[in-house]
Amino acid sequence: MEIISVSSLTKTYYTYRRGSSFKDTLKSFFRRERISINAVQNVSFEVEEGQITGILGPNGAGKSTTIKMLTGTLYPTSGNISVMGYTPFRDRNTYVNHIGAVFGQKSQLVWDIPPVDSFHMNKAIYSIPEKEFKKTLDELTGLFELEDIIEKPTRVLSLGERMKCEFVMAMLHRPQIVFLDEPTIGLDIIAKQKIRAFIREMNRQGVTFILTTHDLEDVEQLARKVIIINHGQKVFDDTLQKLKMNLGAKKIIRVILTKPVAGFELDSVKVIERNSDLEYTMEVNLENNSINAVIRQLTEMCEFSDISIKELPMEKIITEIYESEGVKE
Amino acid sequence: MLKKYIGIYMECIKISISTALTYRLNFLLDNFIALLSNIFFPLVTLLIYGSGAEFPNWSLYEVLLIQAVFTMSTGIANILFNGVLWATMRHIIEGSLEIVLIKPVGCLFFLTASTVDFSGAGLILGGAVLFAVALSHAGPVSILMVLQFLILFISGVFVMMGISFIMAATSFKWVGNSRLPEIFDSIKYFGRYPQNIFHKAISGFTSFIIPVAMIGYFPAAALLGEADGTAFIAIIPCLLFAMAGVLLFRHMIRLYEGVGG
Repeated sequence: MEIISVSSLTKTYYTYRRGSSFKDTLKSFFRRERISINAVQNVSFEVEEGQITGILGPNGAGKSTTIKMLTGTLYPTSGNISVMGYTPFRDRNTYVNHIGAVFGQKSQLVWDIPPVDSFHMNKAIYSIPEKEFKKTLDELTGLFELEDIIEKPTRVLSLGERMKCEFVMAMLHRPQIVFLDEPTIGLDIIAKQKIRAFIREMNRQGVTFILTTHDLEDVEQLARKVIIINHGQKVFDDTLQKLKMNLGAKKIIRVILTKPVAGFELDSVKVIERNSDLEYTMEVNLENNSINAVIRQLTEMCEFSDISIKELPMEKIITEIYESEGVKE
Repeated sequence: MLKKYIGIYMECIKISISTALTYRLNFLLDNFIALLSNIFFPLVTLLIYGSGAEFPNWSLYEVLLIQAVFTMSTGIANILFNGVLWATMRHIIEGSLEIVLIKPVGCLFFLTASTVDFSGAGLILGGAVLFAVALSHAGPVSILMVLQFLILFISGVFVMMGISFIMAATSFKWVGNSRLPEIFDSIKYFGRYPQNIFHKAISGFTSFIIPVAMIGYFPAAALLGEADGTAFIAIIPCLLFAMAGVLLFRHMIRLYEGVGG
């Protein structure tokens, strides 16, 4: 059953062009050129209840604007949104009782006091009965192993600990849908894994998650459905499996060699950047080859002092989608 | 609903006190400086009267009473409303108002409640001491005069609430309007003097247009048995100011929801 339905969603901002040079800045003091920015253009999608949906896109693609409209904190310029039967921007006061949100770069915690005091604030805001509050808090802090952390002032916590507390804050009132805007940004791999495990557990309990990110790994590990937005337009809306099929299994390998080689003549490897005789960035197609096999072949071919394996960058994924669907950017 | 809002407000007060007590020295210094700066102002009045000069038809203690009421009123406004402007401005500049808007509670109420700041407590304390001293030298005070004082005093607090909300609302459009409070402070200071020392046009302005006379002069005049019809008519613009502040802020919130941060 669909829990979110979005049709022809458009958001246009108006701002002023100021220019970058000192002369432009001076000029803009007297006269500013008003320009419109189409942050989201004619986007439609649906989300099933209990699903984790990843909204992917590079910086400035329109992901956060879409999330803000879904949370009811921003009016769309045109189009319709229905979440659990509510129109978020019209029914905001009632609607927000049923949703939670974590903004990776904006904190709901009060900086100078322990997170547990901020949790009590949410208890009052959402009118959570004492017994239910205690039960939920124990469960959530237990999942994150935060029992000792929540009584320390927020300002002394690490980024990972703070982010876990943000999740607790967003989940205390047991929302049916949780919107996550870049929830793992800046976190180390251990903190990311803990947060992903938490999201999976909450999802298992029936919570629907909408997740914006430019970290493909978040999507790979969590989402079944993927929506890709670029320049405010939807360029992909399907399952993660379909996305992988479209793209093929590709990785980026960066190597630093100990001595120069003539070239990398491997079927599945394409050099995409050569910074020096010793530093190469390669795109590896893993459709017919395992990563182990590729590394073994590289080891036989050359000697390297460093190697890193990464996902395809978001810009590359979008380019590939455009190319595979014959869309001109 | 009321119970919920009282509960939220109490939580906010608890958080404000906890935050203030986290930085103990800063809290004590804030209050001490507020107290000190308000001792200096009556000193100026003392110097004026000590040198033989005076405000026509006003004794030293009558003038001090006006200034004491003004100080207490300002202290209450500092604790209850003045943080709204800075919090709103910070949210607009950082584009973080969403974290308030996703809460099922009025945005203006939450911003007001979450910016309660007890560093203005010194101001109330200083004002109260001055008030007690000045009142002890005033004539007998009847219950009716106390009631009049309370009504006018609350109206004065409404003026400052309205002004705070109006200034906060303007920051949605006029981002970085940090000098606006200074402009208002300059106008506000007219309220701590007897109004009959000003030209009629000015006292008309401070009574009915921006009714800052209600912050100090009118309530003190009530305790001195000097409150006339003008003071009570001036309650109307005070309430209008408060209403205008709330309505303008709500309107600007809708604009923010329309255009984003």
